[in-house]
Amino acid sequence: MFYQTRLRTITLILALGFLAVYASFGSYFAREIVIEITILAILAISLDFCAGFGGMVSLCHGAIMGISAYAFSIMSVKLGLPSVPSAMIGLMAAVVFSGLVGWVTARTSGIFFIMATLAFGQMAYTFFFKSRWLGGDDGMGGIDRFNLSWLGVDMNDALVFALFGVAVLLLVYVIAAILLRSGFGRILSGIHSNENRMQAVGINTANHKAMAMAASGLMAGIAGILAAQHTLYISPELLIWTVSGEVLLVVILGGIGTLIGPVVGAIMLVMLKHELSNYTDYWHMVVGMVLIFAVLAGGRGIFGQIEYWLITRHSPKTPHLPPAKEKDLA
Amino acid sequence: MDASFWLLQFLNAMQYSMLLFLLSIGLTVIFGLMHFVNLAHASLYMLGAYFGISVSALTGQFWLAFILSPIIVTLIGAILYYTLIDRMRAAGPMNQVLVTFGLIFVILDLVRLGWGDIALGLDAPDALAHTVSFWGISYPAYRLFIIALGLTIMISMWVVLARTQIGAMIRASVENADMAASLGIHVGRLFFVVFCFGCALAGLAGVAAAPIFSATTTMGITILIPTLIVVVIGGLGSLEGAIAGSLIIGFLETFGAVLLPSLSAVLTYILLAVILVLRPQGLIPARG
Repeated sequence: MFYQTRLRTITLILALGFLAVYASFGSYFAREIVIEITILAILAISLDFCAGFGGMVSLCHGAIMGISAYAFSIMSVKLGLPSVPSAMIGLMAAVVFSGLVGWVTARTSGIFFIMATLAFGQMAYTFFFKSRWLGGDDGMGGIDRFNLSWLGVDMNDALVFALFGVAVLLLVYVIAAILLRSGFGRILSGIHSNENRMQAVGINTANHKAMAMAASGLMAGIAGILAAQHTLYISPELLIWTVSGEVLLVVILGGIGTLIGPVVGAIMLVMLKHELSNYTDYWHMVVGMVLIFAVLAGGRGIFGQIEYWLITRHSPKTPHLPPAKEKDLA
Repeated sequence: MDASFWLLQFLNAMQYSMLLFLLSIGLTVIFGLMHFVNLAHASLYMLGAYFGISVSALTGQFWLAFILSPIIVTLIGAILYYTLIDRMRAAGPMNQVLVTFGLIFVILDLVRLGWGDIALGLDAPDALAHTVSFWGISYPAYRLFIIALGLTIMISMWVVLARTQIGAMIRASVENADMAASLGIHVGRLFFVVFCFGCALAGLAGVAAAPIFSATTTMGITILIPTLIVVVIGGLGSLEGAIAGSLIIGFLETFGAVLLPSLSAVLTYILLAVILVLRPQGLIPARG
């Protein structure tokens, strides 16, 4: 069950404030980092929505993001549509793909779900990798950002684009929070805790899981549009399964099932990556060890652990947050 | 497309299937027995190739590398078992996927540190470095050796699993570990032995593949997906499933690439989707 506690609100304000300040007063490089963080954070929120609250640990979120980025680019570059309708079509493509994946995999759980999503993600990756019309592994360029000149701002300015990214991140967080607090979100949490019981109550759990994947796909699609407009170039690299694995890493690092944790995790990972790559070419190893440590330490993640400490301090006997371990997935 | 074309493609498909089999059998039995998802299994395959190249370069002996490399990989597997894998067994699939995903990153960078980013080759041993001509085609002897090796291991594993006492113990533990333990089988030790054996086969597959594909830092990640698909299609935990799965994927990918080049990339995934929808437990699951 999702609660927008005061701690979460404060953390959200601090995180978004930090990103906005870092972009405003930092160099061009800092602004690039901020936009990178927002893209990863949006994708991580999207994954936390289905993995942390619906128990659907997807390894195809990179692919969902990439499909949206590709559909957007096909519409705007190949077919010459304006960027806003193209983005809508991009989002629709992501929703349809993830909804279909959710529908096909609705009856699988645990490791079968993980492997199935992995395979569907790789299917999309292979499709774009082999597609000559879309540039194959060279990818495609010539993408334009949204034209917001009627607002008097130039999206090609790094600061404007970074702040736009922060605003989109806030929007996605609000969408996810509203969905999770609605009846739909409660049913989703119910399915996560005990799917059989929800079926016994008369809920069509397969439909709800597919819808949750579709909603998650919408958010991942938003990250995809942002990613395409950020680099103005897309390649199949966006869809490869290790991208999805890295997003899962972000969710775990920040705190699965907390919604704000993934934002914290994204900030940590991108910062860590950039700091490490100043010193060593082998930052993957450090990230891998951090991940192993995070899981061995209990799997609550940074924000999740802090939240757990604060709650158990106030009421040492009855922590009302469920433990982070995924017992139902086995 | 005459008979020699079909024969050539058949041999290519067999050779790829055998490599997939060597990898997937370890993965599937470890999963069936221990309910552990080891994404790093393919990283052990990569280590097998690199250690094979190093041993061969140091000693000049291909066959020494062929034997030593799986042993080194098994030792690494044993260390992993006692440091990580044993304590992750009850942690649920998500945590297992995460920890072994972290391991992939760590092993990848260790390989880059040790051997660098350049692709390394390994020459086939002199005895097998020629091509064999028969039935109107000529085919590299080393690739025929791979096929023979895979078939030998396939048959001997079938004999061990179906006809020996340790095979019966393994089958009983896959079926019901608690019941097997109460009948006096030391399930924990069995897990360890099977895990080490799976690692040895992964290392063997690595060193066997090195003369055909050169060793690169991405070889583990590239082979992981087809291997997982073999395991899911075949059914987790069963030898027959791994055999059927690796033959299906090996032939589908090889013949798909020559007969339906435009579709070949997604054929495997379509098959996987169909299997997941119609028969989620796989074609020949270990438990009925």
